[in-house]
Amino acid sequence: MNMSSTLRTTLIIGSILFFVFIINMVRTKKLELKYALIWILTSLSFIIMSIFPETVFMVARLLEVEVAANALFLCIIFLLLLMVFALTVAVSRHADRIKKLVQELALLKAELEDKDKASENKDH
Amino acid sequence: MKGIKDTESMKTLIIIPAYNESENLPRLFEALKETEGDFDIIVINDCSRDNTEAVCKRNNIKVVSLPVNLGIGGAVQTGYRYALYHDYDIAIQLDGDGQHDPKFIPYLIKRIKEGNHLCIGSRFIENEGYQSSKIRRIGIKYFSKLIKFLTGTLITDPTSGYRACSREVIKLFANDYPKDYPEPETVVTVLRNKLKVSEMPVIMNAREGGKSSITNLKGIYYMIKVTLAIMIASISGKSVVGED
Repeated sequence: MNMSSTLRTTLIIGSILFFVFIINMVRTKKLELKYALIWILTSLSFIIMSIFPETVFMVARLLEVEVAANALFLCIIFLLLLMVFALTVAVSRHADRIKKLVQELALLKAELEDKDKASENKDH
Repeated sequence: MKGIKDTESMKTLIIIPAYNESENLPRLFEALKETEGDFDIIVINDCSRDNTEAVCKRNNIKVVSLPVNLGIGGAVQTGYRYALYHDYDIAIQLDGDGQHDPKFIPYLIKRIKEGNHLCIGSRFIENEGYQSSKIRRIGIKYFSKLIKFLTGTLITDPTSGYRACSREVIKLFANDYPKDYPEPETVVTVLRNKLKVSEMPVIMNAREGGKSSITNLKGIYYMIKVTLAIMIASISGKSVVGED
């Protein structure tokens, strides 16, 4: 049941790089902290799983799934579904906000042009 | 409900959503000039790529230009927001493509003054004028039946974009209006809010230029989406009017 050491080393290096990448994204403010949290947790759990593969087997036993890989897939798919759903909610909210902003902006602009025209007429 | 308000002093706004309608608008403006009644006009230019805005300005028609294309729902709602902010008593929505003849405006205004909250200009009461293609008529009939089943009210032309609204409905629409294919859904929302909806026979023209927003390919998507939207609208509670 032991993983080959090259695979293990690759996974450890990969997951650490991923973690560093996420931290860097947050540091340079490209990723909002609110969304970064879930990614930080995900990358940390990748590191743990690659250093201690036993954890995956433990989780599999806990979930009563025979093949460890299936337990891993189950967890990851569940997590992905949650994330995609959260994103859909966020996008819907943003779409609504953008619509409102565009409408208010257009109305304000029209109002302003009207005022300008009125004051111009007064000047002449 | 409002009591007997001096009906003469009711402020009326004509909302014209327009997307690339520079060819059709001048004719519409001419027709509006001939139309009797006291009303203001606003064109909502939904980020047109032609000179819709310039055409309005040249004709001295007030125009609100959206910086981003919002689609028919977002454009029309901008008009309702304008009506709300400027305290209009009646708002009439009229397509910019020449399908809707402005000569029915005084009759629509009359219907609102008589106490209706929403009055829809329907092609299918007297079945005169442009009746749309056969396949569309089947679709419209289906929506009509669906709305009758869900709300108990018969609306012969739920897809009509030629409609007059009272103050209550202006407020409702300014706060909540669907993005695309809004007409059938909003009829249900208004009915759900226990407001009075009536229809008035109108004659529509075949569109003079431009293209319908609903092409054949989108037809199926349209049917499914609007069906879902109507069903959701019929189970949503009363709209809470307020900011979110």
